[in-house]
Amino acid sequence: MTAIEVKDLTRRYSGGFEAVRGVSFEVERGEMFALLGTNGAGKTSTVEVVEGLTRPAEGTVRVLGHDPFLERKAVRPRVGVMLQEGGFPPDLTVSEATTMWAGTLTRPRPVAEALDLVDLGHRSAVRVKQLSGGERRRLDLALALLGQPEVLFLDEPTTGLDPESRRNTWQLIRTLLHEGTTVLLTTHYLEEAQELADRLAIMHRGRIVARGTVSEVVDAYPARITFTPPAGIALPVVADLDESGRATVRTNTLQETLHELLTWAHAQDVVLSGLDARSASLEEAFLAIAEEAA
Amino acid sequence: MRAVAIGQAELKLFWRNRTALFNSLIVPLLVVPLLLSIDADGVPLVVGLTGFVLLMAVYYNLVTVFVARREELVLKRLRVGELTDPEVLFGAALPSMVVAIGQMVLFAVIIGVITGVAVPTKPWFPLLGVVGGTLLFALLAAASAAFTRTVEMAQVTSLPVLMACIIGSGLMVPLSVFPDEVQTVLRFLPLTPVLDLLRAGWHDGPVLQPVVVLAAWVAAGVYAVRRWFRWEPRR
Repeated sequence: MTAIEVKDLTRRYSGGFEAVRGVSFEVERGEMFALLGTNGAGKTSTVEVVEGLTRPAEGTVRVLGHDPFLERKAVRPRVGVMLQEGGFPPDLTVSEATTMWAGTLTRPRPVAEALDLVDLGHRSAVRVKQLSGGERRRLDLALALLGQPEVLFLDEPTTGLDPESRRNTWQLIRTLLHEGTTVLLTTHYLEEAQELADRLAIMHRGRIVARGTVSEVVDAYPARITFTPPAGIALPVVADLDESGRATVRTNTLQETLHELLTWAHAQDVVLSGLDARSASLEEAFLAIAEEAA
Repeated sequence: MRAVAIGQAELKLFWRNRTALFNSLIVPLLVVPLLLSIDADGVPLVVGLTGFVLLMAVYYNLVTVFVARREELVLKRLRVGELTDPEVLFGAALPSMVVAIGQMVLFAVIIGVITGVAVPTKPWFPLLGVVGGTLLFALLAAASAAFTRTVEMAQVTSLPVLMACIIGSGLMVPLSVFPDEVQTVLRFLPLTPVLDLLRAGWHDGPVLQPVVVLAAWVAAGVYAVRRWFRWEPRR
């Protein structure tokens, strides 16, 4: 079953700038779909339309079968939103802000439970203005989860979080996914998408330029072997040499190429210093895509 | 009412905001000596104070509330929740409106006891004036907030409405000092029909025209808010 359906979505700002140009994707129930892209690629502009904050200039959006802008009443009780930049009155305490939000919801969790989910229980009496950036992010996540949503929108959820909080947040999101929540994530942490997403799309200048599972996106890009050979020696494989004498070999058959290289080095008694071999990561795919598209 | 949850939070914020407390609770009282020096009679004092409460505690205070919540991105956050747009605005305005109505009643009772003003013989006119006026100035505050970039700028952007109402609605000087043609125009200011309705509780006076003008202003306020209100800061 499809939770989110976006078809040929275009978003134009009042100045005429087209931030999103004909984007289509679907998110299945219980799946995490990640939207990646460089800054200004149109991720947040896309997600804001899917959240129902504004109507699309062109195209259609369906969330749980409804138009999120025109049928806000039917959609909102079933979704939770964490904006990239959302605010809380700075002079309210954490628990007051959460209680206020709970009062607006159809079926809220207990406030204490929501705060415990994001490890903010011990900060409940602290004013919002005294929270760190990461704590504010977690409060925002607590509010997004407060209504026990079927579909969760997370726009850059771990920006400003320390590594431990980020891991904890990932663990929380995994639990939610396991419980059947559908998640639409935007992030510029590629590791985050690699860890959590079932499928992803990479946006560039308002368009989707690559999509699929993590391995589908990554497999299109060659693995990479780097090392510094002794000066002047002829290598058995095609390699790029940079000014410092470091060689880079790109290959679609990492195991065979590496075997060939090592066998040669052993036979020749050559030391390949700083040897490093790795499959393409999402980061490499991402950088290559951004470069190609530019 | 789900909007009450917002109202409760706003009430807490109101008590924690010294500037808002001063503007809403103290400033209207500062005009008492001024009003007394003009006219010692009881009814004009009640009417004048009610007018100042509407301007300061409802209008000016709410301009700053709407601008502050917009710039803090609170309105944007609330807008992705379950509340409708009118509920969000109504919730944010609720405590200011309730506190202001309480002030108006309190002042009327105190002045009534001190100066011996009788209970209004036609109380529904003042009631309509107070409720309609409170709603109208909350709407005008939301409309003014659309043209106000920062909380500090509210001091400037609120001036046209404040000055027009203070000078032209019979608050400080009776309308009768103006030539007839000017008076006719001033009757269309937003505060004038409210004050006319208040006076109509005690004295005979025009009622139909103020009701129509007030209703027209409320309709214009609703239109202006729908048309121009901004939910997030300009970039």
